[in-house]
Amino acid sequence: MKKECSSVSKLLEKYFDQEVTHAERSLVEGHLPDCPSCRDVLRSMERLRNFIRTPVEEAVEKEDLPWVWQKIERNIQLEEKRPWWEPVREWLDITPVLKKKVLIPVAVAAVVLILIMAPFLFEKTSSYPDPSVVEYVESETYNVMVYELETPQVTVIWLFEGPEQELSTS
Amino acid sequence: MNYDEAKAISRCQQGDQDALKEIFDQYQKKVYGIAYGVVRHREEALDIVQEVFIKLFRSIKNFKGKSHFYTYLYRMTMNTAIDHTRKMKRQPPPNREEDGEFQISANPEERPDRVLAHKELEEKVKWAMNQLSPDQKAALVFREVEGLSYQEIAEAMGCSIGTVMSRLHYGRKRVQELLRDYVLGER
Repeated sequence: MKKECSSVSKLLEKYFDQEVTHAERSLVEGHLPDCPSCRDVLRSMERLRNFIRTPVEEAVEKEDLPWVWQKIERNIQLEEKRPWWEPVREWLDITPVLKKKVLIPVAVAAVVLILIMAPFLFEKTSSYPDPSVVEYVESETYNVMVYELETPQVTVIWLFEGPEQELSTS
Repeated sequence: MNYDEAKAISRCQQGDQDALKEIFDQYQKKVYGIAYGVVRHREEALDIVQEVFIKLFRSIKNFKGKSHFYTYLYRMTMNTAIDHTRKMKRQPPPNREEDGEFQISANPEERPDRVLAHKELEEKVKWAMNQLSPDQKAALVFREVEGLSYQEIAEAMGCSIGTVMSRLHYGRKRVQELLRDYVLGER
């Protein structure tokens, strides 16, 4: 690559796209005859352009488009005849969402998870948990019952002097 | 009949379908060219043409004349084509033998090996273009297919000229790398 290539190569793409100034064009065109490397770069860009453009030009050339207009016209007329609520209904329609295959396993997993969690979610929890009786002693004078509450952690001792009298300490 | 774009747009904005037909006649090939340049598939490109003109009829009221009408229409076409490509990526590929994409030309002068090589190259180009980001692809189609200037591409894409140059540069570089053997003339 020649010394001036580095400055010209920056302009090659703009030159190829015909976006250079008059001075830049002169610079590039003065350089090209003596530089096969820059000519190769331009040739590659030209070849790439042909690869991209030619099939499109051929397709446009052989396509008969007027019949497409008839379809457009028909679609517009159909849209105009639609009742006003139709677009709203379409917008609310969830069937396209359901058609998405990815949502089906997600929905199934959600249902299974809810079923598994349901006993825990709807379990009735008393604000006063059942006390667990630690000890119960009966005698002729007193009956003693010791029980504990877990939350808050309290130990209660009941003294029964008879059915009428009850004493408690904690 | 002379085409008066300003009048056609104004009439179309008032719901005149004949005016839309005039715009369609004027731009159908350009719109088809952009659509085909992006999807590189006949039926899909035709679907996009329909969709674009129906959208245009619905939304032309929003065109205030701040940019050129053709860049407004080209932007709409490009967005529709890119959206279409995204949707198609999510769907299984069509049965190509059925949709006729590989039909060999009836022209007896065309040798089958050449036809096949041509088809192979087209498929390669399509594949390489699909490796680009949507912005790079759009810039390349606007420049290489439609021959728009940097200024026109910037207007159609709603970005600066510098951004257009960058997208073109990196887009070309990527496709050249992917089609190296073809671009360097080794095949």
